[in-house]
Amino acid sequence: MDILYLLIPLSAVLVLAILGVFAWALNAGQFDDLEQHAEQILAADEAAFDRHQAP
Amino acid sequence: MLGCAAEIDDHLNRGRNMDTRTSRACILDAGQARVTLGAARLRNRSYVGTPNEDPLACGRAPADVPHSPVIDDPAELAAFTRWDSVAGERCIAESSLRIAGMHCAACAATIEQVLKQVSGVLDASVSAAAQCATVRWDAGLTRPSAFVRAIEAAGYEAVPDTAAAARALRRTESRSALWRLFVAAFCAMQIMMLATPAYLSGPGDLAPDHKRLLDWGSWLLTLPVLWFSAAPFFAGAWRAIRQRRIGMDVPVAIGIGVAFVASSGAAFDPGGVFGADVWFDSLAMFVSFLLGGRYLEMRARHRAEVSLEEATACLPQTVVRLMSDGTVEVVNAKRLRIGDLVRVPVGQAFAADGVLAEGATEADESLLTGESRPVEKRCGDAVAAGSLNLQSPVLMRVDRAGPDTRYEAIVALMRAARSQRPAVLASADRWAAPFLWSVLLLAGAAGAAWGLIDPSRAVWVVVSVLIVTCPCALSLAAPSALLAAAGTMGRRGLLLRRLDAIQGLAKLQTLFVDKTGTLTEGSLRCVKTQRRDFSDAATTDESLQGIAASLAAWSSHPLAAALRDGFKAADMAWHDVHEIPGQGLEAVGTEGHRWRLGARLWVGARSTADADGAQTFLGRDGRVLARFEFDERLRDDAVAAVRALQADGVRVCLLSGDDARRTQRIAATLGLASSAGGMTPDTKLAAVRSAQGRGEIVAMLGDGINDAPVLAQADVSFAMGEGALVARSQADGVLVSNRLSDLVRARALAKKTMRVISQNFAWAAVYNAACVPLALVGWLPPWAAGFGMAASSLFVVLNSLRLAGPLTSKPERALQARVGAWTSSTC
Repeated sequence: MDILYLLIPLSAVLVLAILGVFAWALNAGQFDDLEQHAEQILAADEAAFDRHQAP
Repeated sequence: MLGCAAEIDDHLNRGRNMDTRTSRACILDAGQARVTLGAARLRNRSYVGTPNEDPLACGRAPADVPHSPVIDDPAELAAFTRWDSVAGERCIAESSLRIAGMHCAACAATIEQVLKQVSGVLDASVSAAAQCATVRWDAGLTRPSAFVRAIEAAGYEAVPDTAAAARALRRTESRSALWRLFVAAFCAMQIMMLATPAYLSGPGDLAPDHKRLLDWGSWLLTLPVLWFSAAPFFAGAWRAIRQRRIGMDVPVAIGIGVAFVASSGAAFDPGGVFGADVWFDSLAMFVSFLLGGRYLEMRARHRAEVSLEEATACLPQTVVRLMSDGTVEVVNAKRLRIGDLVRVPVGQAFAADGVLAEGATEADESLLTGESRPVEKRCGDAVAAGSLNLQSPVLMRVDRAGPDTRYEAIVALMRAARSQRPAVLASADRWAAPFLWSVLLLAGAAGAAWGLIDPSRAVWVVVSVLIVTCPCALSLAAPSALLAAAGTMGRRGLLLRRLDAIQGLAKLQTLFVDKTGTLTEGSLRCVKTQRRDFSDAATTDESLQGIAASLAAWSSHPLAAALRDGFKAADMAWHDVHEIPGQGLEAVGTEGHRWRLGARLWVGARSTADADGAQTFLGRDGRVLARFEFDERLRDDAVAAVRALQADGVRVCLLSGDDARRTQRIAATLGLASSAGGMTPDTKLAAVRSAQGRGEIVAMLGDGINDAPVLAQADVSFAMGEGALVARSQADGVLVSNRLSDLVRARALAKKTMRVISQNFAWAAVYNAACVPLALVGWLPPWAAGFGMAASSLFVVLNSLRLAGPLTSKPERALQARVGAWTSSTC
């Protein structure tokens, strides 16, 4: 079971690394608006429509 | 404040003083003085167009930048621009703009390029996600109008972003809250994994050195939770202690601190004073539960702020005004004055309250009434600021502009309701301090007692007591329910100024209602058609009504509107239509007859002895054919609403200033037992007081302005949301939908709210009563205490959320916006 002496510190380091990745994603604004992209299907469609139909 | 901004202020003041001086003669009282000042300021703003007076010039006027008075107005600029450092003579400003029409990052790059090519723009950054741009510009070289035009030339739209500062603040707050929550929750999961062997292993299964390794790992992962995630609790506790008061954070911080110190001791010195048990897992889980609750609360607050901002942002910035000489000009919506003619294109919101002067359309008034179906608007109909023109371009005449509009009043009301604290909360605050002190004393006493009985368990008993009594559930019990209910009522047409009104509405016993404008509509209804000429057997009442309705469509007079609404118009073509003020309408029909609709003598009647109400006459070639009598129109749902309230045990009583006979008739129609006509405000007040003297909870429903003293006297009061009266009424709630049935529904919801609040209090009390003894006798380990605390808060919040009705989903709103944009692009 000596492998535990390696694995447990490794898991702690991994946790800190994951926290770092999350911090980067957060500060890059990836969690600022979680709804916009889901709704873009409506908005983008409208833009395409306008380009063809507008007088 | 930097040089140029100060100069602008000075300039504004100078202009204001001058204008007040010249208009001193017409100032009558303080109220009017304010109005005059406002007008002076408006006039003052228009100076900005002339180069010599331009405060932005900073010594030298830009040579080739044409002025657009709307966006370059210093008063406008202040709302979306920050003045930055001044290097010598240069004024650097930073403006925020909202961009529309942007769909991806490529668009953002295009706009950035376009902006940087404008001379005088120092820097520009555009965010595709937030749909906004920040521009740094030199006030000596350019104006916002120049780069807004550049953006428009590139095919996008830009408007000043007044809410930029608030949005940036919200974003920082939300990011830091999410970051703290993620650190706490993720570390808690890892710590739980490291703690699992200790829970599952039998005695002797886990080697001591492995156990110590796992404990050290837990300790390491607890550090970020303690120093970073739990920092707000420690900071809050420290603030409270420094101010010599006690807050909810104090027991929480003590609990976390004690658990960490004791567990660290146990982890590094298993044989020492703290025993061998560690609770890093309980600690991290407790912190993440608490942060999770606060995160949800923050999200709800931000959503409310955003919806308020969206509401305030829905008025157009500029409008097209028609001048008396037939020319048009584009002006700032804030400069509209009473009597102005404004052209409203499809898809644009009406910028002020007014009447349609030309054209007919449909309007979306959902912001004002909560009614999502479009409302038909014909020439002469009233339109409200903030409602959306859906069908065809129209011309409107402004009746009320700026802060007098119903829209502004509603926005102010929403702000006021958000910033006040209901009485239920104030009483909860009174109880909080003694409760928290007794928690601390109890924990201290339990620790001392267990120190004598079994020192190894003393610490975790203290921690359990501190955590399990965390009064989150108690402090959420009333406000969460009241806010959820107020939100639902707002969407269903009743806006509350005070949250206390919910309690009053639930306990209500007697409801006094006013007649005119409350039970009846402002408009009239044709109640009787009397034929005067029987020479032509072919004419019937119906055919005459049809002719009258068809002719009435040419006028916006209230009586004409009543005829138009009341009868199906005959298919007749009219020409040579004239409206003679004070007399009526005259027109030539298809067979060449000259028809008149209007006043008795003008149409041709001789006799003068007739009914007392409003009436109008229809005549052909000088002969009177019919007489129409009008009466007030009961609101469509008045009868049903009154019946429903009576069935609910409310005594409804009609108080009216109108004459007793008409009041009686209305009361009979509604099935009211008690009514009183010919009342003055004083006698109305006396009636309310005498009912209160009998110990009844009294509500008053009035039109908001004539009944002001009565509304103030009643325990809870509501006003109808018609016109600008909303702004001045001091009622507890405003029925913006003008539907009486919404009051009935609101009462049902208020009753349910009171039930939910007592359920919440009962649950919180039962939970504390059950868990505190368990913790005291040592049967509740800290992890179970943390779990119980979170579960009780969750129960309270979910129970309150039952009161929140179904929301209009965001995609649905997006679809509506899309339909609006489509109609405008095809016109």
